[in-house]
Amino acid sequence: METLKTPFSSSTYAKAASIFDSRSMESQFVPSRRMDIYDPIQQIGMWGESFNANSNLHASVSMIAEMDHKISNESETASHEMLAPSNKYDQEATKRIDKIQRRLAQNREAARKSRLRKKAYVQQLENSRLKLIQLEQELVQMKQQGVYMGGGLVGGNLGFSAPVKSGIAAFETEYARWMDEQSKQICGLRTALNAEISDTDLQMLVETGMKHYSELFRMKSTAAESDVFYVMSGMWKTSAEQFFSWIGGFRPSELLKVLLPQLDSLTEQQFFEVCNLKQSCQQAEDALSQGMEKLREIVSVTVADGQLGEGSYSSQVTTAMEKVEGLVSFVNQADHIRQETLQQMSRILTTRQTARGLLALGEYFERLRALSSLWATCAREPA
Amino acid sequence: MAATAGGRSRLHNFLEGAGNGGEHRLVANGCESSVTKLVVENAVIVFGRRGCCMCHVVNRLLLGLGVNPAVCEVDEAKEEAVLHELSVINGGGVQFPAVFVGGKLFGGLDRVMSTHITGELVPILKEAGALWL
Repeated sequence: METLKTPFSSSTYAKAASIFDSRSMESQFVPSRRMDIYDPIQQIGMWGESFNANSNLHASVSMIAEMDHKISNESETASHEMLAPSNKYDQEATKRIDKIQRRLAQNREAARKSRLRKKAYVQQLENSRLKLIQLEQELVQMKQQGVYMGGGLVGGNLGFSAPVKSGIAAFETEYARWMDEQSKQICGLRTALNAEISDTDLQMLVETGMKHYSELFRMKSTAAESDVFYVMSGMWKTSAEQFFSWIGGFRPSELLKVLLPQLDSLTEQQFFEVCNLKQSCQQAEDALSQGMEKLREIVSVTVADGQLGEGSYSSQVTTAMEKVEGLVSFVNQADHIRQETLQQMSRILTTRQTARGLLALGEYFERLRALSSLWATCAREPA
Repeated sequence: MAATAGGRSRLHNFLEGAGNGGEHRLVANGCESSVTKLVVENAVIVFGRRGCCMCHVVNRLLLGLGVNPAVCEVDEAKEEAVLHELSVINGGGVQFPAVFVGGKLFGGLDRVMSTHITGELVPILKEAGALWL
């Protein structure tokens, strides 16, 4: 133990020392053989800035505060006990000694506080590490169970671990290819309409475009057999597209509203027919939506059958499964309406008008996707 | 299933009883001899399984057009018999939901939807006397 160059009584000294020991901290004093201050400020800065106070720290701080109070009381009492200043010189000496003692005590306190903060910080790091491991494990589990989160399968976009519903993985791959092909076709239409190409050639482009949409509907139908909720929710599309989604795709009547002003040079007859088509679509959509409402009611009643709160419900859930399978026909019927609408438009319009319509449609979706990307970028930056 | 005061569960009641919402004419179901009669007597009649949602879609579409279709909801037990009878009338296979217009099989939901989009449905209905302007 270090001997301090101050006239402390051995009993006070021992008392002070025991306080250190009993707290089971490092019982060494700040090594200051010199009267210089062992600079604790740097240490305080290190631990103080790098983390927020947590409950551990609060306990440490209150403990430290308690200790501080004790120590300062101790040193003050000791000073007054030991030194009875008789003359002015003695008074000065006493003051200097007091200062030195106080400084040393402060150093010790600072060092102790620093050690406690370090301990608390390390504790927090350990906790965070454990939490991280736990989250990683949960993520692996979720991928295995085929959990979907907005924008696709958990882990699907990250490129590792195959999802459970292989039909959906196949669909996502196919859809990516479909999108590539779609961009090429849209560019082709744009070029063709600006150039002077014959109606026959244009017709070929139109037919290719129409077939491409049919291909999408076929893909969706297959995917719906695998996981109808996935297709229904439009999860495979970007967020802005999902905003407009109706039973797993675009709402035909809404599209006609978008397209109508884009089709200049419509004859009166054509205009009349397109308006009729829009109305027919709306009626068909309403009927299908009402059928969906009925299905929701049926599933809800099936799930809620019996006493809610009983705790055992496997029969209700199994029966509900069967009803939910009815969703597949809704997806198919919605795509059927979309298909028929596209076909009818191509009948009402001339080749050139249809080509322009397909181009307009394609770019409309491109713009929606661009909106989704922009939104995603902005949303990530903090305010 | 839990029993209500009437001795039937809420689910049972819902599926068996309240399917049509009371807006269209629910006709007697499933007796073979009456099926032919129903087809002949009604300008438009829809045959479907009880509680079938697609049947509901057909009905809502027709109602939306101003048609008041007769609806025959068939019990699972009588399904085969009714289908057989309808196939005889049609001279070929029939599936639920089946729409008969003017005494003849018109088709299922697919045909109803396509013809509606192309604008062919309404004239056909008018011709059969199911729709007046």
